[in-house]
Amino acid sequence: MAAPEAGASKPANKKAPDLVLTRVFDAPRELVFKVWTDPKHAAQWWGPSGFKTTIQEMDVRPGGRWRYAMRGPDGNDYPFDGVYVEVVEPERLVFDGAIHGDPNQSVWTEVTFAECEGKTKVTVRQAYSFESDATRGAPIGWNQQFDRLVEYLVRL
Amino acid sequence: MGADRLSTTFATLADPTRRAILARLALGKVSVTDLAKPFKMSLPAVSKHLKVLERAGLIRRGREAQWRPCQLDASPLKDVAGWVERYRRFWTESFDRLDDYLRRIQKKEKNHGRTRSRSK
Repeated sequence: MAAPEAGASKPANKKAPDLVLTRVFDAPRELVFKVWTDPKHAAQWWGPSGFKTTIQEMDVRPGGRWRYAMRGPDGNDYPFDGVYVEVVEPERLVFDGAIHGDPNQSVWTEVTFAECEGKTKVTVRQAYSFESDATRGAPIGWNQQFDRLVEYLVRL
Repeated sequence: MGADRLSTTFATLADPTRRAILARLALGKVSVTDLAKPFKMSLPAVSKHLKVLERAGLIRRGREAQWRPCQLDASPLKDVAGWVERYRRFWTESFDRLDDYLRRIQKKEKNHGRTRSRSK
């Protein structure tokens, strides 16, 4: 299965991301960047708790492929097949890829690593594109405000 | 969660006018005429959006002859929220693991530095 071409199905670098998360890690930036980009390290922590990640390919350069599978506690594999779009060591990574082995479901991810008084602030921005016959060619996203509305509505 | 229903919901939400309509309906039932007012759109144009929303199961419309009030049905939004929630969980838990991992390897490095010649 072909990986999505860099930039081909990019929903997102111009529009507001669907999800933004930030965390400060008590480690130097070079080290944090390294554990994101070295498969030996990345496999040790990538994925929710209870998941085990096997990295098949991690070619960290623009256009390089990144493939892995996460095995969940339910025994199912959750594959990812993507490409690195931007790699700026040690400050920025952008990758784009298909999830669940479905080329119609893609996730665009930008990760920034900022120095912050000897610690490292990591910010992840993600935009999702969910294409089907109904949505083909029209990448989907909504803004944070709407995201909050959805969260509010489902609690009603 | 049905992928088809989810993609229908996403497609429906892709339009800013429809999101605005849903946001208005979150405040309560409203007639089509009142709904159309803030949008500077013709009634038929608004009706078209309402049909899309209705087909996606995001709204229900009353049968009261004259003012067929529109009402929000949030259940398809739960699928969408669940989807985004999965990603939030992915990152929160990955970050927790990353935090632990960084602590572990830095501790190891320090210990190595002490037992060896502290060259590294």
